[in-house]
Amino acid sequence: MRPHSVTGRAGSRSRTARLRDDAIRWITRRHAHDGDQARLGRDRIYILPTRAGYTLLGIILVMLLGSINYSNNMAFLLTFLLVGIGHNAMWYTHRNLLGLQISTLPVPPVFAGQPLTLPLRLAETAGRAREALILRIGARATAPFPVPAQGTHTAQLELPVLARGVYRLPRQRLDTRYPLGILEAWSWLTLAPEIVVYPTPIDPGHTAGGDGEDAAGAHDRREGDAPDQIRPYRTGDPPGRIIWKAFARSGKLHVREFASGQGDRLWLEWKAMPASDTETRLSMLCHQVLAAHAEGRVFGLRLPDQALEPAQGVIHRDHCLQALARFRSKPVELNPEAGR
Amino acid sequence: MRGKTPSPPRRTDLRGLELALVALPVAALPHVWHQPPWITALVVLAIVARAWLLGTGRPAPSLGVMSVLAVIAGGLTFAQFGTVFGQEAGTALLLVMIAFKLLETRNRRDIVIALFLGYFVVVTTYFFDQSILIAAYSLLATWLLTAALIQVHAGRVIPRPRLARQAGAMLLHALPFMLILFFVFPRVEGPLWGDPQREQTARTGLSGELNPGDIANLLQDESTALRVEFDGQVPPLRAQYWRALVMTDFDGRRWSADENRSVIQPAASDADNVIRYTATLEPTRARYLPMLDYPSALPEDAELRANYQVLRDRPVTSRIQYSAGAALTTPPGAGEPTLDPQERTRALHLPPSAAPRSRAEVALWRATHGDDDRAIIQEALQRFSAEPYRYTLQPPRLEDDSTDTFLFETQAGYCEHYASAFAVLMRAADIPTRVVTGYQGGAWQERGEYLRLRNADAHAWNEVWLDGEGWTRVDPTAAIAPERIEQGLPGLASDTGEEMPGFLRRGEGLSWLQRARFGMDDWGDFVRFRWESWVLAFDPERQRELFARLGLDSQDWRSVLIALGAGFGSLALIALAWVWLRRPRQRRSPADRMLQRLSRRIARHDRGLARQPHETVDAWSRRVILARPDLGESLMAFAKAYNRQRFAPLTPEQRRDDLRHLRTLLHAVPRGKPPAPKPDPVHA
Repeated sequence: MRPHSVTGRAGSRSRTARLRDDAIRWITRRHAHDGDQARLGRDRIYILPTRAGYTLLGIILVMLLGSINYSNNMAFLLTFLLVGIGHNAMWYTHRNLLGLQISTLPVPPVFAGQPLTLPLRLAETAGRAREALILRIGARATAPFPVPAQGTHTAQLELPVLARGVYRLPRQRLDTRYPLGILEAWSWLTLAPEIVVYPTPIDPGHTAGGDGEDAAGAHDRREGDAPDQIRPYRTGDPPGRIIWKAFARSGKLHVREFASGQGDRLWLEWKAMPASDTETRLSMLCHQVLAAHAEGRVFGLRLPDQALEPAQGVIHRDHCLQALARFRSKPVELNPEAGR
Repeated sequence: MRGKTPSPPRRTDLRGLELALVALPVAALPHVWHQPPWITALVVLAIVARAWLLGTGRPAPSLGVMSVLAVIAGGLTFAQFGTVFGQEAGTALLLVMIAFKLLETRNRRDIVIALFLGYFVVVTTYFFDQSILIAAYSLLATWLLTAALIQVHAGRVIPRPRLARQAGAMLLHALPFMLILFFVFPRVEGPLWGDPQREQTARTGLSGELNPGDIANLLQDESTALRVEFDGQVPPLRAQYWRALVMTDFDGRRWSADENRSVIQPAASDADNVIRYTATLEPTRARYLPMLDYPSALPEDAELRANYQVLRDRPVTSRIQYSAGAALTTPPGAGEPTLDPQERTRALHLPPSAAPRSRAEVALWRATHGDDDRAIIQEALQRFSAEPYRYTLQPPRLEDDSTDTFLFETQAGYCEHYASAFAVLMRAADIPTRVVTGYQGGAWQERGEYLRLRNADAHAWNEVWLDGEGWTRVDPTAAIAPERIEQGLPGLASDTGEEMPGFLRRGEGLSWLQRARFGMDDWGDFVRFRWESWVLAFDPERQRELFARLGLDSQDWRSVLIALGAGFGSLALIALAWVWLRRPRQRRSPADRMLQRLSRRIARHDRGLARQPHETVDAWSRRVILARPDLGESLMAFAKAYNRQRFAPLTPEQRRDDLRHLRTLLHAVPRGKPPAPKPDPVHA
């Protein structure tokens, strides 16, 4: 059972919240799958007065009553001017969203327990500078941000700290109260960037009380690598193998090389992890992947349901981490309220 | 966990407070002249304190401090006004509330509330002043308040010029709404509660009684009483007697008007002789409407009484406009052989003990002239012009019998003395007479072409009954100062060396400085008049007329809906057209436009031949030629010319010539159907 489990969610939320959710889903059904890009057309911008709007309405009504009572034409003029301003605010607020293009950016993966930031790119093409936009998911919101005319802005929304896994983004909301704050225009977005959370690295050494690498490398241990050989840096050597301490002393770049290329292959084994539960094992494997990558090793990863052939480099590392993150995990909808 | 804190740091929350601290004092400034000084001091103090706190980054005073301050301010307001309601006290309280709201501003909501109340402050200004200057000023205040409101909600500091533009645009775009609503929004006759005018306007104008000294106060009042625009012919100044009140009842000292006479219809007069005009009357809090002699067409909400006095159905509590007509040559009762006996008795009544010396004098006249009423009238007028009667606004006090004292001793006074004394003389001679008060003279405003009557133009005259001729106007004051009836003159003033009514001081003999002042007054009054007659005088009555002119009925909600719909509908159309005209467009070059036309022309017969966006002209023309070999030559030529036009460095002349060539090539492509398929050389 993963700690952030969302199974209890529906029960804990109130009936009205669910009804509201259904209503919004029904309203937004036409654009229920925005994928990685959405353009805010007139068909998906909604607008309603805010509390301040109702306050101003009340003040205008009082002014109107006063104007009638005192038969004061100048008061009528100002009252109606405010009515006009309030009415046009509707237009201004609506236009502040209209025509914006919102697209997903790759979400930089994080390790479980680290704060996650969702970047969304807003592009302005209509030639009007936009002000005070707020991106929200659930109760999480960005600070108000502007988008320059014919420009872009990348909004960064802080998401809750999540457990390992793959997540779908719940419905997003882009809203604005600019310019007068008496009306709020908003649009529901269903952008679906992929959010991957790697396991938290746990050093198996600490858990096992021995040399981590001993524990990790089961049979294909890097037999010929002790002792390491040192040789001068050649172009193309992974930076992780550079012996920086030596560089600091001598000013020359040297790399650590393991004796045999083939024997260097390291298999990180699911079975070999000194833990019983899935998440801890994954965390340990994660640590091992990172460690192996940092050392510039050629390594493979073997999980119960798949194996990644030994390789090295950033892409390989990320493949491995992705495999760990996705292990026996279906994409779940991210709960923005988690961790609150 | 930064995401957990729901509110951004407080510094950002208070953006816009600086501007609010400017906008609100600007909105409140006109109140300085109408509020006790301590209110001003309190507001200034609170704003300075807030600005200081903001500048030094200190927090707002705590809730406890604020409550104490609020209680003190409320108490002071109550102590000052004895209430916290009503115009002055309410405004004072509002100002203090805003000042405190600003002082305790903790978040955006506080600023927003203060700014909303700022709009309210602007409106309360109109309790005291409705001039066009104040209108312009409140536009400025509204602009600043709106700018502050925008800044508060902007989420970042917006450059001031942009802010100013944005707020200005919002105001500008709201103006059409304002105008439509102003004219179309259903107006009802106020007030809904209370009697706002009692506190609002000091009463000016004529009173229903004529006491010695009444009009003298008015005669020193230079403010406008009435402005008149004539529809067509403008009668000469001497013929313009604006009658307001008719007084028949006399108790020996005081004349009084009777508002309870029966309602009559104005005498029919032929339309050619009727002078039509529209008058704008300042509030008098009385029911009379000054009408040009003799009323023949009345406003809808007024009626003519048996003494030919026109009364509105309710007091004039705010500036109103009314249209009416006058028949200059048809006095009331003209053509009637005798006066109604009851009326005659009233118009002849003199207290038995009144004016014994006058009666004796009149008895002599009667003896001389017999039944000739006209001769008696002439005798009385001659007395005024022959004897050393003076026109003065500061006559000696009249002791004992006022009429006798005036006629035989002081012989100094102004219109009401002459009118009253003349009436007594006539009644003593058994000629039915009454006193009429109203306005006479006035200043014709060249600029704007309207007549301006000031309170200083108030006048009193008489009407005497002559069998067959009806109630004939006699102006005894004219007998002593005939020039006055023609136009104002300075001569009389220098004769007596005493303070004269304003109109007597006008005209020749003025220094250039005085002329300049009068000139400016003309301009000022013109602008004021336009403002007042076009904007301030708009009321349910005017709205009814406006609707009637559009063929609608302002009392019918359907009409109101139609008018509102038409107004906002046309506004929406204009807005749509504007948006459409300003829509972002990709400017295509002429060559591109021709290419598009060509593509359309060819695709008419085969859709697949339309140029795809990704196709170059060359690629496309090759593709088309495969299907339409008949177009081969022209298409090749077109593609070549197009490429040259788009990509070759050309002089403007060359470009123009090439473009012409391109057009020829375009038209060379036949519109018609492709010819019957010939053996296709490519596919064969």
